[in-house]
Amino acid sequence: MNLLRQCVAITNANLRSLGRRQWISISLVFSVTLVTMILLGFLAMANGFNKTLTQMGSEDVAIVMGLGARSELGSSIAPPHIHLLEEAPGLVKNPQGTTVLSAETIVPVDVLGKQDHLPATVSLRGIGAHGLTLRPSIKLVSGRLFTLGANELIVGQRLSQEYEGLTLNDTIEFGRSRWKIVGIFEANGSVFESELLSDVKVVQILFNRPNQVQSLRAQLAGPNSLEQLTSYIDANPRLPVRVLSEKQYFSAQSERVSQIILWLGWPISLVMALGAIIGALTTLYSSVSDRQVEIATVRALGFSRISAFVGTWLEGLLLTLVGCFIGLCAALLLLDGWAASTVGTDNTQIAFELKLSFSMAANAVLLALLVGAIGGGLPALHATRIPLRLAMTRRS
Amino acid sequence: MTLDTSIHLKEISKCYQLGKNEITIFDEVTLNIPTGDFLAIMGPSGSGKSTILNLIGGIDRISSGQITVGSLRIDQMSEAKLSQWRSTHIGFVFQFYNLLPMLTAAQNIELPLLLTSLSRYERAERVKTILDIVGLSKRGKHLPSELSGGQQQRVGIARAIAMDPQVLLCDEPTGDLDRQSAEEILDILKILNTEMGKTIVMVTHDPSATAYAKRTLHLDKGQFVRKELEAAQ
Repeated sequence: MNLLRQCVAITNANLRSLGRRQWISISLVFSVTLVTMILLGFLAMANGFNKTLTQMGSEDVAIVMGLGARSELGSSIAPPHIHLLEEAPGLVKNPQGTTVLSAETIVPVDVLGKQDHLPATVSLRGIGAHGLTLRPSIKLVSGRLFTLGANELIVGQRLSQEYEGLTLNDTIEFGRSRWKIVGIFEANGSVFESELLSDVKVVQILFNRPNQVQSLRAQLAGPNSLEQLTSYIDANPRLPVRVLSEKQYFSAQSERVSQIILWLGWPISLVMALGAIIGALTTLYSSVSDRQVEIATVRALGFSRISAFVGTWLEGLLLTLVGCFIGLCAALLLLDGWAASTVGTDNTQIAFELKLSFSMAANAVLLALLVGAIGGGLPALHATRIPLRLAMTRRS
Repeated sequence: MTLDTSIHLKEISKCYQLGKNEITIFDEVTLNIPTGDFLAIMGPSGSGKSTILNLIGGIDRISSGQITVGSLRIDQMSEAKLSQWRSTHIGFVFQFYNLLPMLTAAQNIELPLLLTSLSRYERAERVKTILDIVGLSKRGKHLPSELSGGQQQRVGIARAIAMDPQVLLCDEPTGDLDRQSAEEILDILKILNTEMGKTIVMVTHDPSATAYAKRTLHLDKGQFVRKELEAAQ
């Protein structure tokens, strides 16, 4: 109780004297604010990218790709194999007895950014008749669906907002082909919104890729259907393909890019945190130097070394927490929901929103506490070693 | 019954290391200060006046010898025990007052009381009483910067006696004050000595201040060169 009172009294006195060191204290707060914002920026980027790719991934939809392919762009499935897969067990058939399956072809196409006017590569996906059935999240927000057999496109809302020539009724050229934008769709912010969709047959013809199919999407009949389908493929040596659920596929895709973002984000944040620690050391050494007669005086009055340590240490922690709080608020206001885009594993642009979460805020607070604890620790130790005779010899 | 707060320095030596050189401040100095004494120590700068106070107050350590206050050998105490002993037995009055500038006069006086188990109410009552003693009952809520030098030194004295210590160590208590303020401070110290029985050791440059002390010792180059057993009143 006694020690607690001493600590509270010294901390209170330290904080009330901050005005004497306002600029250096503000610079510490500002540096921690920057560290917090940068860390949260990277974490939110990884999280947003991850969410975009995984939130719409369905357990009920299977994706089939060529054996050894890690993404659809590097995959190829021959027509005979498609016929064999149409007969596979575990897949839903419609009332007419046709398997609910979409053979798909992806073509990377170049578009120009609306703001920077720089070229970017996006995915134009040709889908089969059941392609939209297999993507129930897709909802038209304007226009209509493309007509089968026509060189018409529907465009994801995010692409439409970010790139030139992709608004409703625009006509855009890709190589020697011309396409009309007949609809804009949204898909709950998922990765589908980063694609252009059209009829697979038209895509194959206009891009001179006859019968070239890169992936199949199929509706799974039930919880065990993926295992049934996998067993069927494994048991059939004539089928050089691999299957996984849409959710598994997107998780694998997002994991790689998210990890790259995190591998970049954490080291940058930690280097900045190191800078902030040096800032905290400077600030708090200056604080101790500023208060050394006061510290010596209260120690001469009988206050313990621990209270001198705690007072300085808490000053550091509180300043860094204030910086962290400002950083959190700024990140929430400026970064959360901010639209960004990056290159996905198919070498195509994927638009996504930065998403903050509670665990990220906790990470930022922990980092700030680390900065405060280390940056305040050494000066606090120094405060306990101030010779008490300073109280006698110097003017405060 | 008067508490024994006599101070005995027996053959004390104090050396400082300055780079490769060892500086001797005191070499086997002996000094006895009886309970209830008001001792003024005079001497030129660098003669070791403040060091004597630091050693008696336990904020500096002797190199050899013995220091006894009452029945306690303070030179043998651990730092933690010394700190605790200092808080209850010693009051310091500093030349530059050493008040915490961001705390009010009352909060400054309350500081040493935070080391006790007194409740907030009891502390407030004690502070009020002490403010009355030093004649600052209406200045408790003022910051040091809102007080004159003399008033700040009164707050310094109030803080020094807050724990009711029997020994007051005053380092040039009037060194930063005008004549009138200095006399007011010395009057207070005299009252504390004669009416409240405090043992006072005061270091000063001011010859007129010695008139308030019971005796004066002159210190030069680490040795007491002359002593007057009774100051003229």
